[in-house]
Amino acid sequence: MTRYVIGRIAQAALVVWAAFTVSFLLLQALPGDAIMIKFLNPELGLGPDEVQALREAYGVDQPLLVQYLQALGNFLTGDFGYSVQAGVPVSPRLWVNLPATLRLATLGLAFAAVLAVALAFLSTLSPFVWLRAVIQAAPGLFVSIPVFWLGIMLIQIFSFRLKWISVINPGEFEGLILPVLTLAVPISAPLAQILMRNIDEVLTQPFVAVARAKGASPAGVLWRHVAKNALLPTMTMAGVLFGELLAGAVITETVFGLSGIGSLTEQSVRFQDSSVIQAVVVFSAVCFVGVNLIVDLLYPVFDPRLRKQKVAAA
Amino acid sequence: MAKERLPVSLKQFFRKRVRTAAALAAVLALSVSVPVLAQDAPVQGGTLIYLEQQAHTNLYPPSGGFYPNGGVLNQITDKLTYQNPETLEIEPWIAESWEVNADATEYTFKLRSGVTFSDGTPVDAATVALNYDIFGLGKPNLKYPVSEVINNYDHSEVIDEHTVKFVFKRPSPGFLQGTAVIGSGLVSTATLALPFDELGDATKIIGSGPFVVASETLGKELKLTAREDYNWGPAKFEHQGRAYLDGITYIIPPEASVRIGALLAGQADVIRQIQAYDEPQVTAAAFTLLAPNTRGVNNSIAFRPDNPLVADIKVRQALSLATNTQEIVDTLFSENYPRATSVISSKAAGYVDYSDKLVFDQEKAKALLAEAGWTPGPDGILAKDGQKLDLTVYVSLPQPQNEGVLQLIAQQWAQVGVKLNVLPGDAGTRTLDQLDPLKTPVTVAMVGRADPDVIKSGFHPKNRDWLLQKGGSSQNVQSFVDDDLNTLLEAIASEPDHDKRLAISGEIQARVLDQYYQIPIFEEPQAFAAAPYVHGLEFEAVGRPSFYNVWLSR
Repeated sequence: MTRYVIGRIAQAALVVWAAFTVSFLLLQALPGDAIMIKFLNPELGLGPDEVQALREAYGVDQPLLVQYLQALGNFLTGDFGYSVQAGVPVSPRLWVNLPATLRLATLGLAFAAVLAVALAFLSTLSPFVWLRAVIQAAPGLFVSIPVFWLGIMLIQIFSFRLKWISVINPGEFEGLILPVLTLAVPISAPLAQILMRNIDEVLTQPFVAVARAKGASPAGVLWRHVAKNALLPTMTMAGVLFGELLAGAVITETVFGLSGIGSLTEQSVRFQDSSVIQAVVVFSAVCFVGVNLIVDLLYPVFDPRLRKQKVAAA
Repeated sequence: MAKERLPVSLKQFFRKRVRTAAALAAVLALSVSVPVLAQDAPVQGGTLIYLEQQAHTNLYPPSGGFYPNGGVLNQITDKLTYQNPETLEIEPWIAESWEVNADATEYTFKLRSGVTFSDGTPVDAATVALNYDIFGLGKPNLKYPVSEVINNYDHSEVIDEHTVKFVFKRPSPGFLQGTAVIGSGLVSTATLALPFDELGDATKIIGSGPFVVASETLGKELKLTAREDYNWGPAKFEHQGRAYLDGITYIIPPEASVRIGALLAGQADVIRQIQAYDEPQVTAAAFTLLAPNTRGVNNSIAFRPDNPLVADIKVRQALSLATNTQEIVDTLFSENYPRATSVISSKAAGYVDYSDKLVFDQEKAKALLAEAGWTPGPDGILAKDGQKLDLTVYVSLPQPQNEGVLQLIAQQWAQVGVKLNVLPGDAGTRTLDQLDPLKTPVTVAMVGRADPDVIKSGFHPKNRDWLLQKGGSSQNVQSFVDDDLNTLLEAIASEPDHDKRLAISGEIQARVLDQYYQIPIFEEPQAFAAAPYVHGLEFEAVGRPSFYNVWLSR
């Protein structure tokens, strides 16, 4: 078991390193760089000599390998470099923006899960065929709604027309209601689809027929027998989605003016602020592999069958 | 008992009623007039919520040109002089009086006494001298750039505690106005000892202004509070004491519909950057729309004559004739965006009406292009010697609706057979390509500053160098240079006589338009919207908001 865990962690580290290297190479290949963009701004009125002096001060003209090794070394010690555009070190910006994204991601996923489960159960238990068809079409609709449109519509209706929620200077939780809703709708779609499909699959299994024969109601069958079995693939999907959410919901954050990892990403891409982009890429990679690792390790916890296999192997 | 009412005469009956009615009327009149009187007098208190489109980047005063920076700096710093936005005259502020020598190489300022920064240190000659030494010369070890508005600075001299002299290497007539611009806000010595990048943190900026920075959430929110002991507004203001508002909260919702909706729903008090197509919403709700002119070079497109495609003056003239600026203004904008009638705004110093040089004539445009040897190819685009008249321009994000403007121009030019590619571009590619006349034969040009020097800021090779001349910021220029233009531009920055300067400005405008270097499109304002209960919102000469005189009547 421990060998398995160590092996998975090593794999995860390899993935993170690969993400770092590939993003470094890609960023170096882009025309221009952050220093040029910031200081060749006509409003600053700097001449080419002054900009060159700044470039040397920031160390951007060193050979590629030197820069790569420096960056790698810094990352391993937790120093993510310097954001040229904002003029502050990257680490504080990342940690300051993280809580907002964490809150949004966690609540967003929780809501999405609730929505997905509600849809799946409703579709399974619905007495009418036409209703079932409508509910099964819902995920397709949810994933097609443009996120920015949904966000703006929710603001227009709930904040400006009905005046239930304030968007400017809201309280901590008040300010999360609409963004969480905006995120939850498209995220719930894949969850709901996978859950529905798996439920249908499990319902064809023999033990379900046995349960029905023993007199369980449809709701009882669904809740006690089918749900747990249909849950596993959904958990993997949820893990993937959570990893995505942690990387930042750029559009939602822009519409609602939240400063999370998403808006940090958008700003740094706009100004080609390589250090910040690298830090965000590595952070996202770590989140992704971390979440997937946790889900993989949780599988035996949820499914006793997998537990027994491990014991037998050991 | 009712039956035993005493008889009363009719006269007495009415007299009583009239007296009661008169008393009632008097009471009513008083109760109505008292609130009316109260509305005219400023009320102290309240916090203003101001919505900006972007966060401030750096609060080093010469970086105040960027509007989000200037919007903050204008409240927390004061300047030596105040430029009256109506008359464009320079009036005393922190400097009570000043003397300029005959050839504008020496300026001596006498400072007002009793002015202090918010950390208690005095605003005296030594501090003012330090400020201007840094604005004029930069500070390379701390990475401070030189201020764009200060030319030919040599050194400063502290004569006594309240008198400071600035000496210039060559005549610098624009300096007096330069002491009033947003880039010349005075900050404390401690502030100027910090590395440039740390000035992105608003809490580190110590000025002498009517507001001080209370707290900041980087990129999201900034809180200012009124300074209680403030007592030195611009000399000609009636209001000299502390600001009426208790505080201002800057919030940054990047999405335009959220800003307008928040204002109209009562969640915000003032917003900046409201687009022309959103103006009807604001006026329909009886909110105030304010669009101060930025008084500088108009929103326009400029050519890079180094590129062989636009090197021929006939081609440039044809493109100018093919551009229908009235159509652009009517289609995309509102009455707050007047059509341009010269290189600079009609409200700018030195403006000359050259609308006779800015004509729309498609037929003449086609004729000129044919004369220049361009014939339509099989796809309708003009070609000559195997080369198509295919031009490129990058969208300039700070300019309002710039992509729409450029695309409309592209449509208009297509009608005479010229193709214009409008590229959004990413920041890196755009910055690089803008320096190469072969890649960007056309560029968007606009700069706001209320001094005749503004025209030099745009065209001179050592400044923004819109035309990309040899000896300027670009290494990619082959040969183009316009010495006559450059001589005039340098003259305007060094002519001490005010009237002569304005005359030179007129000559420069004539040259730019006669050479068809630039096609001015419209006069760009800064558009703000405010709730009806916001009074006293003013703007400095280039459209930055000043909240000093603002009071709320709610």
